[in-house]
Amino acid sequence: MKTSVTSILSAWSGIRQFRYVLLIVSSSVLLCSGARAQVNTVDQLNRASLAATCASCHGTNGVGAQPATLSNPADLQTAYMLEQLLAFRNGSRSGTIMPQIAKGYSEEQLQTIAQFLGKH
Amino acid sequence: MKRREFLAMTSAAFTVATPALSKAESAISKAEIIVVGGGYGGATTAKYLRLFSNNKARVTLIEPDSQFISCPLSNLVVGGSQSLSDLTRPYDTLAKRYGVKIVKDWVSNIDGNTKTLQLKSGKVLRYDKLVLSPGVSLMMDSIEGLATANSLGVTIQAWKAGPETLTLHKQIASMRDGGVFALSIPEAPYRCPPGPYERVCQVASYLKKYKSRSKIIVLDANSDIVSKGSLFKKAWADLYPGMIEYRPTHNVISVDAKEKTLKFDIQQDVKADVLNVLPMMQAGNIAKQAGVTNANGRWAHVDFLSFESTAVKDIHVIGDSTQNAQLMPKSGHMANQHGKVAAAAIIAQLRDWPVNQHPMLTNTCYSFIDAKQVVHVASVHAYDAKEKTFKVVPGSGGLSPEPSVLEGLYAWSWARNIWSDLLG
Repeated sequence: MKTSVTSILSAWSGIRQFRYVLLIVSSSVLLCSGARAQVNTVDQLNRASLAATCASCHGTNGVGAQPATLSNPADLQTAYMLEQLLAFRNGSRSGTIMPQIAKGYSEEQLQTIAQFLGKH
Repeated sequence: MKRREFLAMTSAAFTVATPALSKAESAISKAEIIVVGGGYGGATTAKYLRLFSNNKARVTLIEPDSQFISCPLSNLVVGGSQSLSDLTRPYDTLAKRYGVKIVKDWVSNIDGNTKTLQLKSGKVLRYDKLVLSPGVSLMMDSIEGLATANSLGVTIQAWKAGPETLTLHKQIASMRDGGVFALSIPEAPYRCPPGPYERVCQVASYLKKYKSRSKIIVLDANSDIVSKGSLFKKAWADLYPGMIEYRPTHNVISVDAKEKTLKFDIQQDVKADVLNVLPMMQAGNIAKQAGVTNANGRWAHVDFLSFESTAVKDIHVIGDSTQNAQLMPKSGHMANQHGKVAAAAIIAQLRDWPVNQHPMLTNTCYSFIDAKQVVHVASVHAYDAKEKTFKVVPGSGGLSPEPSVLEGLYAWSWARNIWSDLLG
């Protein structure tokens, strides 16, 4: 009986700690997405504005609605996203619309977009 | 760590991270920004004004409808494969999540000198920045007898998604097998260049299934199909052989409601059971009243860096009402893109920052050729400082090579994402 009480208490303590972990994790997520969305300088505004051109197809800040068929840029690593965008641009990756869209942006612009929308 | 300590620590972190309220931030939170029209352009602008100002700008959206109904995809309702509820979304999230103040009303008058606008309810609102996104108005007077034929229920447009969309579907559904559906298309520019041709596909898809002896006559004031021409022609021939008759350079000049007949400059009259007559279009009526329609009295010239009217200061015009740059379509996607450039420029102006000199726009437009298969057209537009206009980036954009079900799935994903982008 004593053992089971101890294990219940221990489990409760674990749940409480897990709640703090959740709080910390969710706060970090908020801080990260908040940091990406913060517009405190003209450069940040211009970067956000450029990345917003992608949002019409992929959702605000690269987070699409469910069920998602088109990719969610916010779920991709920045380096991987940039690699794919450049591949669409130079024709080494095929697709339906993305190769046609990627060819409209400079490499520097695609870098800014990947940096803004992707996970670092 | 105690929860209280944790919260105190994070709140301190937020306090440290928050810069002191500067003069520019104070200006931004005091400015009254009003957006007129909650479609693809207006709703986007309202939301992005909040996002780009770190939720500091005071943004009011004036929209008479209580819910958003998407024009893109509404041809599927005409064809009977979708319902209007599939294309309807609430405005609530814009208010709850993004802090946009939503006023359900009509704007009846705008005075650019006193920077005020009057609502149908009688209330007068003052603005520092005004964004007009009223879409198009139909020039009913451009076709003799059209207004009368409409009032008698003989003709219909269904060019703004809503009750008329359902009425048109019902007219087609109650047409006799062996009947004629006639669709007339005005000279470009008009809202949604591929829209009429997609509608032909949707009506044909319905008729093929339920009234296969029926015919469709397409009367186009233009000399050829305005958008995705080769793809539509192939789809008509492959999927609906013998059903669709396309007549280019057919400009409707009058409607005889009693005889259900369309008349043209020189060609023979056309009699039909269901008449879907699209007249010429111009900027939404309120844009005309506000004095911003300085392009042939029909559309609004804007400074493409900010979408500010070239006629009236501090009024920005976006979407279908603008005089478009070359190859810039009047589409929902494009209005959504205009809205973001306008929002960023307004925030920059209010903060005393330089306005972005290199704005970019994209456009994608999906057309359903039956209930599942889709073709697209896409383009990327960059601002050209020398000519002060947007130009398609050479090498970008293009068409689908052929229709596909995969693009049909992408079209629905696009719709869900853009609705979420503009409404929250």
